[in-house]
Amino acid sequence: MAEVEETLKRIQTHEGVIGTIVVNAEGIPIRTTLDNSTTVQYAGLLHQLTMKARSTVRDIDPQNDLTFLRIRSKKHEIMVAPDKEYMLIVIQNPSE
Amino acid sequence: MGDRSGLQAASQLFWKQGCTMMFKDVADFCICVSMTRRGLRLGMAKVTQVDFPPKEMVSYSKETQTPTDTQTHTQARPEEEEDEEELAEAKPAEDSQEKKADQEEKQEEAPPKELTEEEKMHLLHSDEFLTFFDRGSRIVERALSERVDVCFDYSGRDLEDKEGEMQAGAKMSLNRTFSDERWSKNRVVTCLDWSPQYPELLVASYNNNEDVPHEPDGVALVWNMKYKKTTPEYTFHCQHPVYCVNVVGTQNAHNLISISTDGKMCSWSLDMLSQPQDCLELVFKQSKAVAVTSMAFPLGDVNNFVVGSEDGSVYTACRHGSKAGISDVFEGHHGPVTGLSCHSAGGPVDFSHLFISASFDWTVKLWTTKSTRPLYSFEDSCDYVYDVMWSPTHPALFACVDGSGRLDLWNLNNDTEVPSASVVVDGSTALNRVRWSHSGREIATGDSDGQVLVYDVGEPICVPKPDEWSRLVHTLMEINENRDEGDELAAQRLVA
Repeated sequence: MAEVEETLKRIQTHEGVIGTIVVNAEGIPIRTTLDNSTTVQYAGLLHQLTMKARSTVRDIDPQNDLTFLRIRSKKHEIMVAPDKEYMLIVIQNPSE
Repeated sequence: MGDRSGLQAASQLFWKQGCTMMFKDVADFCICVSMTRRGLRLGMAKVTQVDFPPKEMVSYSKETQTPTDTQTHTQARPEEEEDEEELAEAKPAEDSQEKKADQEEKQEEAPPKELTEEEKMHLLHSDEFLTFFDRGSRIVERALSERVDVCFDYSGRDLEDKEGEMQAGAKMSLNRTFSDERWSKNRVVTCLDWSPQYPELLVASYNNNEDVPHEPDGVALVWNMKYKKTTPEYTFHCQHPVYCVNVVGTQNAHNLISISTDGKMCSWSLDMLSQPQDCLELVFKQSKAVAVTSMAFPLGDVNNFVVGSEDGSVYTACRHGSKAGISDVFEGHHGPVTGLSCHSAGGPVDFSHLFISASFDWTVKLWTTKSTRPLYSFEDSCDYVYDVMWSPTHPALFACVDGSGRLDLWNLNNDTEVPSASVVVDGSTALNRVRWSHSGREIATGDSDGQVLVYDVGEPICVPKPDEWSRLVHTLMEINENRDEGDELAAQRLVA
């Protein structure tokens, strides 16, 4: 368990990282480094987007599955590592 | 009705062509001309315009559910079925149904507050979470470290001079440094090896950390050259310090060989590591057990090998057969032998009888299995030489590291007096291990402070030219002549 904490801390203190959120299968955040309202917003929206991305991939090929999702915007990069049960979301400012 | 003559003409035309055709007319009427043997028969028929929709390709595919997929499939299917059911129900568009759906969505938004802290902690400790997190965090860390900006706009900006160009002609340049605050700091790198399957992976084993007695004594870390992240890919611990292991043989028939300072050589089967498959006592002249400090197997050989011992001698031995055990002794070093390497660069000439040894006596010696006296002694170092290794691709090139933090590259065809390239590692550490990558273009070295450094070797040095092998033959002849002359002189002095 301590390793999980350590890794989360390491990710959070990585250059440019703005926030880290762990979300469960229902879209409920279980660990976050951001404030409540931002967390809820990110978790809800990204959960839906990830579900949509996953179903897109599987509709094209049912034996395929989503492994990583990366959204590059003008200001940030949002990385989502999805899984059956959980999802790790990291928001990074790449220009720093 | 239309022009009778025109019709006749048309019908004659069709008679020739022999087909039935429907004229589309403004009105619903058309004249159809059907061909029969008895002659033309004109009639009136009502046309209905028919539009065929594009043919729908309905396909059914049978998929076999592989074991790994069964869980996801069974989970996914019920969800899909539920979705379909929901859609089917919604279509009739009943208000009550829509209202229910809205209410459900609102309920879903509320839950963030429903999971208590206890529930969250419980989730965070579950096995599924740990598996997910192990994989997810590794991927995220790799992605975080890559700073490739695919959207970068080059136009209108001055390109800074790339520092890499300056180093293009350099002999050896530091590529990466691998070190882990928790697991490698304060431990000595005891062994290094490159993966034959994934050339970017490197495993390093470490000694115990004296400052932290409650942490495991033995650590092995797998490092990845491909990604810029600075943490190891995998971490392994064990209770005892790891010194050295070697896997010999082919993929299908292989053994793990271990030798220790009590003179015992054990071969293990990777399936059963609780007991060695067989043991061999290495004794010299039936009395003295050889305290082995290093060993090497010639390329492709699983039976014959060389070992270096504490007393400074090098021995050849074989594992099986009537002469199992020590065969010959090669005396020459004045201190414990710390590293051995058998020639492995394949080419037009076979040099597999050559091997080199490093020792505490500040020298590296070149030997051939055909003679028990050293061929040559490289005496450029001013400190214990800890390890030596032939290049896997260049027949005349080898690397050695010593206690003053120096990494030297020697090219026998260039010069045997001084190294062809040399670099000193920053900080006052001793370099304990050196390992060429399988491509022969990079060198990994481990120091006494737990750091693994990977150097890129410049092309002019590490890439062999086609004539290196023949040149080495000449070099060896010269070395041989010099040695014999030296021996004669020494013998004359003794007599005189």
